Amino acid sequence: MATVKAASVVTRQVRPILSLTQEDSRRRVLALYKAWYRQIPHIVSEIDIPKNQKQCQEKLREEFLKHKDVKDIRVIDMLIIKGQMELKETVTKWKQVGHVMAYWKDTVNKKPTDFLGKFLDGKD
Amino acid sequence: MLRVPLHKALSLPNLRQLSPALRGISSTPVQLEKIEVFVDDKPVLVEPGTTVLQAAAMVGVEIPRFCYHERLAVAGNCRMCLVEVEKSPKPVAACAMPVMKGWRIKTNSDMTKKAREGVMEFLLVNHPLDCPICDQGGECDLQDQSMAFGSDRSRFTDIQFDGKRAVEDKDVGPLIKTVMTRCIHCTRCIRFASEVAGVDDLGTTGRGSDMQIGTYVEKFFLSELSGNVIDLCPVGALTSKPYAFTARPWETRKTESVDVMDALGSNIVVATRTGEVLRILPRLNEDVNEEWLSDKSRFACDGLKRQRLVAPMLKNENGELTAVEWEDALIGVAKALLRAGGQSAAVAGGLADAEALIALKDLLNKLGSEALCTEHTFPQDGSGTDLRSSYLLNNKIAGVEDADLILLIGTNPRYEAPLLNARIRKTWIHKECDVALLGPKVDLSYDYEHLGDDTTTLKKLASGQHPFNKKLSSAKKPMIILGGQQFGRQDAAAILAAVQQLSQSLSSSNSDKEWKILNVLQQVASQVAALDIGYKPGVSAIREDPPKVLFLLGADEGTITRADLPKDCFVVYLGHHGDQGASMADAILPGATYTEKQGTYVSTEGRTQQTLAAVTPPGMARVDWKIIRALSEVLGESLPYDDLNGVRQRLTEVAPHLTRYGSAENANYFAQAVELSKTVKAQLASTPLDVKLKELQDFFMTDAISRASPTMAKCVQAVLKQKTSKY
Amino acid sequence: MASRILSQTSLKFLRNASKVSRQPAAPFSVGAVHSDKIDDELKKREAPLVPVDSMTQTHPHQSGVTISVTGVEDVGVISGVPEEHIKNRLVRICKPARNSMQSGSANTHHWEMEFESRERWENPLMGWSSTADPLSNLKVSFASEAEAIEFCEKNGWQWFIEVPKETKPKVKNYGVNFSWNKRTRVSTK
Repeated sequence: MATVKAASVVTRQVRPILSLTQEDSRRRVLALYKAWYRQIPHIVSEIDIPKNQKQCQEKLREEFLKHKDVKDIRVIDMLIIKGQMELKETVTKWKQVGHVMAYWKDTVNKKPTDFLGKFLDGKD
Repeated sequence: MLRVPLHKALSLPNLRQLSPALRGISSTPVQLEKIEVFVDDKPVLVEPGTTVLQAAAMVGVEIPRFCYHERLAVAGNCRMCLVEVEKSPKPVAACAMPVMKGWRIKTNSDMTKKAREGVMEFLLVNHPLDCPICDQGGECDLQDQSMAFGSDRSRFTDIQFDGKRAVEDKDVGPLIKTVMTRCIHCTRCIRFASEVAGVDDLGTTGRGSDMQIGTYVEKFFLSELSGNVIDLCPVGALTSKPYAFTARPWETRKTESVDVMDALGSNIVVATRTGEVLRILPRLNEDVNEEWLSDKSRFACDGLKRQRLVAPMLKNENGELTAVEWEDALIGVAKALLRAGGQSAAVAGGLADAEALIALKDLLNKLGSEALCTEHTFPQDGSGTDLRSSYLLNNKIAGVEDADLILLIGTNPRYEAPLLNARIRKTWIHKECDVALLGPKVDLSYDYEHLGDDTTTLKKLASGQHPFNKKLSSAKKPMIILGGQQFGRQDAAAILAAVQQLSQSLSSSNSDKEWKILNVLQQVASQVAALDIGYKPGVSAIREDPPKVLFLLGADEGTITRADLPKDCFVVYLGHHGDQGASMADAILPGATYTEKQGTYVSTEGRTQQTLAAVTPPGMARVDWKIIRALSEVLGESLPYDDLNGVRQRLTEVAPHLTRYGSAENANYFAQAVELSKTVKAQLASTPLDVKLKELQDFFMTDAISRASPTMAKCVQAVLKQKTSKY
Repeated sequence: MASRILSQTSLKFLRNASKVSRQPAAPFSVGAVHSDKIDDELKKREAPLVPVDSMTQTHPHQSGVTISVTGVEDVGVISGVPEEHIKNRLVRICKPARNSMQSGSANTHHWEMEFESRERWENPLMGWSSTADPLSNLKVSFASEAEAIEFCEKNGWQWFIEVPKETKPKVKNYGVNFSWNKRTRVSTK
């Protein structure tokens, strides 16, 4: 039987990555968000993508809210670092149009999520 | 070997004087002290009588061996396990030598190494260098051990150019391929055949370099356990014929699973490559199959690729089954079910997993039907299937080893459950357990007392008037095994009641209250789970009240035929093989076999185990419970689970033991079952007890998978051919 | 142009954050370490030279400071594994079974995790085995089952464990082959 161990509510002492407190990491997240937000007009004007500012802002919000339930400070830090890397890649145009458009997954066919859809779709 | 003739030994006067004293010692059990030995300077405490090899294994030192096998008698003829023991002038054969107090065993000393190198050199002098074309390559003990323990250079120079020793290959049947030149004469196969399988066909002829392993005369090595000698052979002398030149062990993926060809639930490893099952090997489980596997479980895997149902089918206007899309099939079946309006029924076959069983039961119950049956019957009088103890092998398979008297009633365990029979034989050999059989006289591979096949004998036994009762009541741990096949008889209830009463009268006088006497040997893998979930045993309910829609969940035994059903009855077959069930169906929903799904099976001893998916179902086939779940959604009666976890939670709700994998839940209430059995009115019929599987040729093809297997067909042919031989 | 804006904004938020934490500036990447002089640095062709000890001292990861975390850490979101391969997978934790074709017990003394198998097929080009499942070849070994469980929990995979059956050593005796009154007497040689 598939089991999941009840999440052990043990507090451990670990080495930090960037932030030392929850408040600290929150500030970093907001800073990263703002950095992205301010970059959006430049992204839209400099990279030839069929998206306007509004859509980009919505996507940005969506990408951040995806991880709204992450509690572990170190995981948040890692996400910040990854976000920073993405930002840098976008700004320096190491990312090409396709890479930026990958945030929208326009070309990916949606897989069915309901049981019957999955059943008819394939093996899963 | 030095043996003193018996009369000489007895005539020695001092021995006579000694013997009463000796007897005195043996009658009082003395707790023998453990003795300390040192293996490579690591101290270990062992029981007296432990061999050097076992003592070394306890500290994690593996001594190389060829002839020694844990489950076979010690032969001591390969000499690979030679080790140095301090102060012993010669190296000692670790597999046969019991340790003495304070021994210092050196498994890595110069003397040991030299001994191994010498042995290896001798073995290789006459072993062909054909590893690249040998099927054992990659999983060969000789290959590995010559790398690890052999010399790094060869002294073999064929000055005379007369080549290595060559031995003619033998034809020992359709399962085992022999390349006798590769044989190193470890005699594991001989010991297996004579000890475990109980077939004294193999043996050696000649001596020295003329020694040969063979069957003496031209004869097939036919046994229901013959495939195990392939595993036992440490070199490539005996390899699998169906698997010959198919794959190397490093190319295959191994999935640890459970066998469903009989009711024992043997543990297996399924080797696959590119979505194809290539072979099945046993997996060690001391409580179930030790490390053996029956030939049907091992070789019927090529039946998994043939006769498969790969697309959903519906009957068209001409009454022909045509392949359709899943949508159409589901809608077609759903329409029929809606038309039937609760007048539906289901028959579950022997290979169905618990997940499919529970899903089908939940679906039909939702539609207002309670007619869910299993193919194999069980008497409903008395306690019926309410008390689990009346349909389980309560003493467990491993429990056989503690028995001192086994009474088999209406069963031929040799072909119904070969590994249970191997256990009985093991107990018969090593524990001097006695066996009696009530039923047709068959060859069980060991001696037994035949009590006839008359039901009056059973009646006498139950009432305590048979001479055998004296033996039963004097036995400390008697065990009664009732064959599940007898439940198909008209007087099944009376038989079960008689056996229950006999067991109860024995257990009430038995001092060991934990010891269970009543054991039922089921015929198929799904039966216990189906009864636990609440299926009705037997299809009589369907015969009495014919439904408008009949589900066959892998039911291929032909217990229900078109003749039993009204003309307009819509038959849905949900299963994996085009066998009897599919041939009478109006709609076919292709399912998955046991190698293609993660399914729960409960063995006849009540042990819950799960199979794991090694490959995916072929074509458009789907996992069974998912088909039922999808159908329920099309019907608008969605079942409340849509992943494996959900189904298993539902199983846990119904019966918690169904998801406790690996453990066998004990059953109880024997006394209550007996009380209820007294209400049984049925009388024993006069027809003698009979079993279906009497001889080896009956054993091979018993279910949809093995019937589709060409290897199994070849086995049947081989048995029949052997019968015409003069040997 | 755009890069300048980035460097300035990221600069700011880095500085702000580090002020709050009362720690020396926490650098994100080598490029950002010397961000004070970023404009100068950007003009240079080569990568800026970073004094090693300044990095080690300022990095909270190595500063010896610890923070407390509660609960199981979930690295699933940062592992880069697509979500459908985290939520829908079932991991089996077991000790690998010994190959019954051989007597040795090597490679069976560790714990392993493996995913449930998905579809594989024979590649028409070379006849090799193909799969669409990126995790099908992930087989990680562990010294104990607890480690394996922790790893799975950390990655957010559902798991189940299969505990191997221990075998008891049996009494072996060479003499029983020749006992004259027992059934163990060897009949065939």
